[in-house]
Amino acid sequence: MSDMNKNNDTPEKSEYVGRYEKRPDNPVSADSSPRPLKPLKPLKKAGTSSSAQPEKPRTPKPSEDAPKRKPARPDGQAPRKADASNGRKKKKTAAEKEAARQRALKKKQEKRERRHNKITRGIAWVNVAAVGGLLAFGSVYMLFFKHETISQDENRYLATFPEFSAESYFKGEYTEGIADYYDDTVPNRDMFKKFITQRITPLKGRKFGDDQVELHGIAFEKKDPQTTTAAVTTTKGTGTAVETTAAETTTTLPAAVEPAVDGEMANNILIANNRGIMIYGGAWGNEKEYADYVNEYKEALPKVNVYSLVAPTACSFYTPENYKDLFESEKKDLDSIKRSLKNVTAVDAYTPLLAHKNEDIYSRTDHHWQPLGAYYAAEAFAEAAGVDFDPIDKYQKVTLYGFVGTLYGYTQSSALLDNPEKFIYYKPKNTLKVTRYDSYFQNPVEEDLFLDPKTLDTSSYYMVFGSDEKITHVNNPSCKNGKTLVVFKDSYGNALLPVLANSFENIYMCDIRYFDINAVDFAKEVKCTDMLFAMCTYSAVGPNRDQIYNNLHY
Amino acid sequence: MVFSRLFFIYIFLPICLLLYALARNVKQKNWVLIIFSLLFYAWGEPVYVFLMIITAVINYGAGRMIGRYQGKAGDTIATYFAVIYDFLMLGIFKYSGFIIENINALLSSDIPVPDIKLPIGISFYTFQTVSYIIDCHWEKVAPQKSFKNFLLYLTLFPQLVAGPIVRYSTIEKEIEDRTTSITDVSYGLNRVALGLSKKVLIANQLSVIADNFLGNVESATVFGAWFGAIAYAMQIYFDFSGYSDIAIGLGRIFGFHFDENFNHPFICKDITEFWQRWHISLSTFFRDYLLYVPIFGKRRKYGGLFLVWLCTGIWHGASWNFILWGVYYGIFVFLEMIIGKKNMKKIPIVIRQIYNKIVIIVGFAIFYFEDLGKLGGFFKTAFGFGGHGLIGIQDKISFMNNIYLVILAVVCCFPLIEWAKKLTDKTFFTKSVASLVTTVCSAFLLLLTSVMLVDATTNPFLYFRF
Repeated sequence: MSDMNKNNDTPEKSEYVGRYEKRPDNPVSADSSPRPLKPLKPLKKAGTSSSAQPEKPRTPKPSEDAPKRKPARPDGQAPRKADASNGRKKKKTAAEKEAARQRALKKKQEKRERRHNKITRGIAWVNVAAVGGLLAFGSVYMLFFKHETISQDENRYLATFPEFSAESYFKGEYTEGIADYYDDTVPNRDMFKKFITQRITPLKGRKFGDDQVELHGIAFEKKDPQTTTAAVTTTKGTGTAVETTAAETTTTLPAAVEPAVDGEMANNILIANNRGIMIYGGAWGNEKEYADYVNEYKEALPKVNVYSLVAPTACSFYTPENYKDLFESEKKDLDSIKRSLKNVTAVDAYTPLLAHKNEDIYSRTDHHWQPLGAYYAAEAFAEAAGVDFDPIDKYQKVTLYGFVGTLYGYTQSSALLDNPEKFIYYKPKNTLKVTRYDSYFQNPVEEDLFLDPKTLDTSSYYMVFGSDEKITHVNNPSCKNGKTLVVFKDSYGNALLPVLANSFENIYMCDIRYFDINAVDFAKEVKCTDMLFAMCTYSAVGPNRDQIYNNLHY
Repeated sequence: MVFSRLFFIYIFLPICLLLYALARNVKQKNWVLIIFSLLFYAWGEPVYVFLMIITAVINYGAGRMIGRYQGKAGDTIATYFAVIYDFLMLGIFKYSGFIIENINALLSSDIPVPDIKLPIGISFYTFQTVSYIIDCHWEKVAPQKSFKNFLLYLTLFPQLVAGPIVRYSTIEKEIEDRTTSITDVSYGLNRVALGLSKKVLIANQLSVIADNFLGNVESATVFGAWFGAIAYAMQIYFDFSGYSDIAIGLGRIFGFHFDENFNHPFICKDITEFWQRWHISLSTFFRDYLLYVPIFGKRRKYGGLFLVWLCTGIWHGASWNFILWGVYYGIFVFLEMIIGKKNMKKIPIVIRQIYNKIVIIVGFAIFYFEDLGKLGGFFKTAFGFGGHGLIGIQDKISFMNNIYLVILAVVCCFPLIEWAKKLTDKTFFTKSVASLVTTVCSAFLLLLTSVMLVDATTNPFLYFRF
């Protein structure tokens, strides 16, 4: 950078200093505010009005000054000449004195100007060194420091350097890919992001009221959530990276944030008392559609007991009184679903959850419930289905610390980042046979019921129940009630599996969003006796409900 | 490529600057600029870059012909040919979809709507070639003899994709003969830092508010609608003027002196003045090349006015709301013309300020809603017929959550830097101190902006749409 102006100290330079000073960059000057509508002769005006022509500088070039002055001094001739003229015009001394004084003054002024120019240039050098140095340092930092490959915070693979092909080049993907790569993999990316969250974003304003409320998104969308719910990626633009490869390989890093929140999240989140709460905008008739789809399953499978467990979200229990007006009632929509179901048992999870609201049944930083909340809901279902249900102390309690989940990922709020929570789940102590299939119910692989939490990032502890893309079959050798449960669920349902495992001989857990075969054929194939639809309100009344219908029609 | 991304700031730009500094003379420097400009454009438009080069060839050729046949038939033919070609290209690539959609709607015909992606910056560079050709025709400038130099004029990357619309006459001499002093570089770098921070620290943040409130304006309160529209107006200002700052700053580093494009538009006293301060390079273009075209006979004063505002609207986008937006401003400028300057001055300043701010804010709302139905929803809500009340708790929360940002944005609409300059320019000492303070500020802003950019994977400039 500093090589930039090697020849800056050449004499022509001051010409440009002169021009620079004559053309003040003060945009208020009359020159730069042309009046578009003033009746002028535009053609001639345009060139001159805009001060377009580089004007010749008024200040003389030092290069011109120097030769003029120099010959006057070195040889002794000049003083003699002056003497001669002195003899002739003595009367004019006063005038000459004055002229001499003027000359001296001018000289002094010139000297001062030169000094000032020198200082100005010096400061300019300092400026270029500072700002340009920053550019140069940043450039070295971006080019030669080690690039990140994974974002722990966002739990995703970062962009990779694109591979060249003529096709991708002409689509502009190759070049954009290079730029994205550098933008996305800045060394120490997570550190910078944390700094933004904790130090910069809070400067935008203040939290509101006694409950320290922040609003992310808007709160007044009281209409069809089909148009209002959206996955995280559409709003944050972080989805440029390679989540798909993450999903396909399912190695240590489970499929990013995306699949877990697909269609389950609102854009609009209220943060009060360090708890993120999605703002429920109401079903507006969609809840009846959900009920109709579930009814279709019952019609197709008359011998199967069909249950619907729609889980309320945290807003039903933790919204501070002052802000209730911002929300639609989930209870109202749950009741409406119950009324619309035909020969399908509606499982009431709302009442038991409300009764336990003082326990940690919902995450503060994540849009899911905590496994404890799922336990109470499962209990309600087991009661409705008339199956045994183990008390909670029969399970091994596992506590994970430092959980900061999806709601932080979406809001980037320091209120959540700075207040991580515990994630507590319950492991059945008996042995279970767990097989996972792909979404076509092919390629079985025997696996553990839980993922190893050590492989999970603090943002994705909920993924301990496994990813959504697989169909999971749990066979319980110690349970011989002959019951086979098929669960169609969203990610809320994942937490039900471990606590229902001792209530059914076989459970097949299928995500409505990742299911590529006919649901009725599947149920018949696995000899389903009981069928449970288990999902949160957002999935039941939002766009995900269409998947329930689609799965009937493969 | 956009300026407000780390790849540009820390990889593309430094490499370009380094090679530019190493180049020995203007000829070599020009080659560096041409190569990097084409690279810059091709980065986002690897195909349309050829369209731009063809446009350059045709306009260069037409310019040469105009020069050769000055005043004769060849001159006129070349002028018409080039101008028609330029507008035809703009029409095809920007407006064909819109025109066919409307023909279909009007005649209930079923012409397939072509799916043409808008080449980035075509609106800007088309206007540059047109101004060049007309200036040549009017003998205001001598046609450029070297294709290389003409290509440089057209593709110069600081101003290529989002203006300002630099006239050929502005940089005619500098293309062939220019030097950069250290003060130029220093000024340019500071200006770039300023522009980037306007875009990243203010405009991008305001966009969240604007989208939240305007995006759902039908269910917003009266306060919400206005809050959203005000945020949007300021967002566009900081976005676009920030871009112009970067362009002017980069230009200065390379030794070019572009004209200012914005002059604190929001401090205007009336709408006419607003347009003397907003996107100056566009309004002067229309003034110089369109306002007095003699196609309206004796009524050309008003006819020209109407045409200018219609075109201003159309230029901004192939959608009815932009046309409406242009005509809307035309009406207010026309009204102010009828009232007369002197009479306008007699109106108390408070009333004039309220009047122009409301007109401007509503104007930006028109600009925002490409869907006219939603625009109707905005008007209903903003003027109290939305049925959601005056102000709700969500408005209060959102306002409080963003209060410092909003205050900062409003304050930055005033000519703070100019005021400070006026104060410090009095003595050499204060001026020098101010320069040092500027250095610290620039470095700080650049650093802050860069950190913020780590968070933004996608972050395009709004004016790319035009």
